[in-house]
Amino acid sequence: MIKNRTVRILAIAPLSRGLGYAVMEGPDKLLAAGNKAILRNKNVGALAWVEKFIRFYQPGVLVLPDVNAADTHRAQRIKTLHRQLLGWAKQRQLKVKLISVTQQRERLLGNPKGTKYAMAKMLAEKFPAELGKRLPPKRRPWMSEDPRMDIFDAVGLATTFWPPLR
Amino acid sequence: MQSLPNYLQSQRKRLALSQEEVAFLLGIRGMHKGDKVCRDENFAREPSLQEALAYEVIYGRPVRELFAGRYQQAEQEVKARAKILAFRKVRKPDARRQEAIIQLAAEASVNQINQ
Repeated sequence: MIKNRTVRILAIAPLSRGLGYAVMEGPDKLLAAGNKAILRNKNVGALAWVEKFIRFYQPGVLVLPDVNAADTHRAQRIKTLHRQLLGWAKQRQLKVKLISVTQQRERLLGNPKGTKYAMAKMLAEKFPAELGKRLPPKRRPWMSEDPRMDIFDAVGLATTFWPPLR
Repeated sequence: MQSLPNYLQSQRKRLALSQEEVAFLLGIRGMHKGDKVCRDENFAREPSLQEALAYEVIYGRPVRELFAGRYQQAEQEVKARAKILAFRKVRKPDARRQEAIIQLAAEASVNQINQ
């Protein structure tokens, strides 16, 4: 249970292309969101970027996806990066919150079987100034995923962090 | 929570403006005018009072909100000094002056307890 609703958080979504990131101060204040493509040495590059973000934004909590949850299948490289991030946060005494995909969909869509696009659309409506123009077109079966979806993965994690207002 | 020194970058992105465009609105001249805005956003440069007020006009947010970290720092320092001033003796005590200083110093004590 988070008592202080004005804590600054950094959400990192490690992905095959690189990573998505989002910084929030409270449930309605999105400070920054974006994605970083890392071409070579992905884990080393991702850790360097995360360190840069932490130095700049000085977050109180690091929010990561729960890659070991029962509903999640992730690549070995992502799992290694996740372990490295956890160890790295522990070294720096940074609080970590893990959020599973099901938790994210239940909180944002009220349905654990909701789609990724529905979640992205909902987030674009919640933060129209920051994310409205970054929503990619709906993916068709023959298309690969748009890199901009990384941003919505990270913002989804960050938004799920806060308990809903009663 | 300690605020960031400034929130210029998030405000600029909210309005979908480029650093060059903001620099132009601020009246900065030269070849690489966007660099100054970049340095402001990365906390590497402190804008002048004129520029801070121009930022308020551009983003439509008060300076104390745009430069929240700097404001917090100034607030703490002033209140700490007010506490010292409250103990100073004056020849002609003025009720209004005394009230203002005591109020500032009391707020400083409350903030210290909260932190």
